[in-house]
Amino acid sequence: MRQRLILLLGAIAAVLGWSNPGWAQPPEPSSRLELGVGVRWIGRESLGDKTATETTGSGGALSLFSTQSELGSAAGVDGRVGIRLTRSLIAEAEASYVKPQLRIAVSADAEGAAPVTATETIQQFTIGGSLVWRLPGRRWSPRFAPFATIGGGYLRQLHEQGTLVETGRFYQFGGGVNALLMSTHRLHTKGLGLRADVRALIRTEGVSFESGSKASPSAGASVFVRF
Amino acid sequence: MTRRVASIVAVALLIGQPAPALAYLKFGVPIRGQQVTVKWAQTPVRYFVANSGVPGVSAVDFQDAVARAFASWQAVPTASITYQLAGITSAAPGSDDGSSVLGFRSRPDLDRVLASTSFLIDSSTGALIESDIFFNSAFPWSTAAAGEPGRFDLESIALHEIGHFSGLGHSALGETELIATGGRRVLSAEAVMFPIAFTSGTIAARTLKADDIAGISDLYPDGDFTSAAGSVSGHVTRDGRPLFGAHIVAFNPATGALVGSFSLNAQGQFSIGGLSPGPQVVRVEPLDDAELDSFFDSSQPVDTDFRVAFVDRAVVVPKGGDSGEIAVQVVRK
Repeated sequence: MRQRLILLLGAIAAVLGWSNPGWAQPPEPSSRLELGVGVRWIGRESLGDKTATETTGSGGALSLFSTQSELGSAAGVDGRVGIRLTRSLIAEAEASYVKPQLRIAVSADAEGAAPVTATETIQQFTIGGSLVWRLPGRRWSPRFAPFATIGGGYLRQLHEQGTLVETGRFYQFGGGVNALLMSTHRLHTKGLGLRADVRALIRTEGVSFESGSKASPSAGASVFVRF
Repeated sequence: MTRRVASIVAVALLIGQPAPALAYLKFGVPIRGQQVTVKWAQTPVRYFVANSGVPGVSAVDFQDAVARAFASWQAVPTASITYQLAGITSAAPGSDDGSSVLGFRSRPDLDRVLASTSFLIDSSTGALIESDIFFNSAFPWSTAAAGEPGRFDLESIALHEIGHFSGLGHSALGETELIATGGRRVLSAEAVMFPIAFTSGTIAARTLKADDIAGISDLYPDGDFTSAAGSVSGHVTRDGRPLFGAHIVAFNPATGALVGSFSLNAQGQFSIGGLSPGPQVVRVEPLDDAELDSFFDSSQPVDTDFRVAFVDRAVVVPKGGDSGEIAVQVVRK
C-alpha cells in the first residue's frame, strides 16, 4: 500500500509539472463547494512497553516476559466536502478509513519461549471537520494555493473479527497545497485539481495500552472538484 | 437432602493430597452426570472463629487477621460474595456440624501442610453447606504488620484458605525451584491461590492479584461483571493431538494483569474468564512449578512434555463475550 501511495504522489508531481501554465493563466473561478477523494497514510504509533511480572517473597517483581506494542503505519482512503465561508476560509467535513496492524512484540521470556509478534488488524474509521485557511500572498502561481488546516473529530476502531469496538477523538493540524489543474464551467463544475497535505494527528482514547494521547504523522493526496 | 463430605485440600506449603478434577478456577462435583460448580448459594456466608491462639498469636490477633483476610475478598468490587462473623467459638474446625469454623489444630503429622480447608456439600445441588479451615499450630505463626522472620504470616495463609472456603481451586501462576531437602521454594507468584506458600517471614501474599479477582468474580459475579468482562477460549494440541493440563495465561498489555487457566478435557480445551476487554497476549506453559496433584486428580493424564510458547496473534476479548476458538499448537521439549 505504501508503494502505491508513493506512486500516486509521483503521478501527482508529474501532472503538476506538465500542467503548470505559468503566470499568464486566468484566475480560478469563484466556487462555493468542493468535493475531494484520495488516499491517506498514517504513521506508526507506539502503544507502550509492558513487562509481565510476578511478585517475589520480598515484594519485588520477577519478570516473566516483556511486550512492546505499536499500531503500525497504514494507508487508506479519505473523502471530504468543503464549503467556502470567506475568500480564504473553508469549512470541511471529512471521513477516512485505514487498516493499521496492531503489533505486540513479546520477548525476554523467563522460561526461554521464542520471541513472537502477536498481531491483529484494526479497522479505523474517522469522521470530523476542519477549517482550511488559504494562505494569503503566498502563491507562486495562480494554480497553486498553499493552505493551513486545523480540525478534529471522532474515531472508531474495530478489532479483528468485529468483536470489540473502541472509540476516541482525534485532533489534527498541518498544511498543504492545492493545485488547480483546469478551470471549467461545464456541468456545474468550476474546477478540477489535486491536493497534497501533511498533518500531525493526535489521538485520544481508542486502542492504547497506556494513558495519554498518541501522536503520529499523516499525509494525504487527493483529487478535488469545485462547484 | 443427601449430604456428603468432600475433603478438598487447600494448602500452602508443599502439599501431597489430591484435589478434584476441574479444580481451577472453581471446584466442581459430578451431580447426575453433570459437573456442577461448588459455591455458596446464599450470602453473607457466616463463619465462626475459634477462641484460642498459639504462641506468638493471641486469640484476638487471630480473629483480627482472619477478619482482614475476609475483608480483602469481600472488597473485590466485581464480586458479590460477602461474609459475616457469626461469633467466637470454642469448637474446633473440622467437625461436620453445619457451622463454618476457622481455628488452629495441631497436626505435626502434616509436616508440609500449613493450613487446610474442608467442605460439606449438598450433593444434590453442589451448594456449600459448611466449610472449615484449620491452621496447623505445629508451625510458627505471626500476625505482625511487617511479618516476622521464621514465622508464617497468618493473614496471607488465611487469604489463600478463604479463597478455597469460597470455592476457588489452585492457580498455577507462580515460579518455583526444587530444593535439596525435597519440595520446592517459591520464587514468585502472581496469585494468592498458588498452591505453595512463600517462605516464612514474608507478607507478600496479603494482596489479591488479578487472577484471584477474576476467579472470585467469575464465581460470584456482581453488577455488570458478566456483561463487562470477557473470556478467551480455545484448545491446545501437540503433534495434532489434544493436550490435557497445559497452563494457559492471558496477559493484558494495557494493565499488566495475568490470568490463567488450564486445558481441562480430552479435547485440550480451555477457557479463561473474567478478563478485561481488549487485546491479550496468550502464553502456554507446562505445569512444572508445583506438584501436579495440587491441581488435578492423580488419575488425570497431565502432559508436561512441551515447550513454553506464545500465540502469534493478539487475542481480542470482547465485552461480555468470548474471543472465539484459539488453536494453540505446541512442540515437544
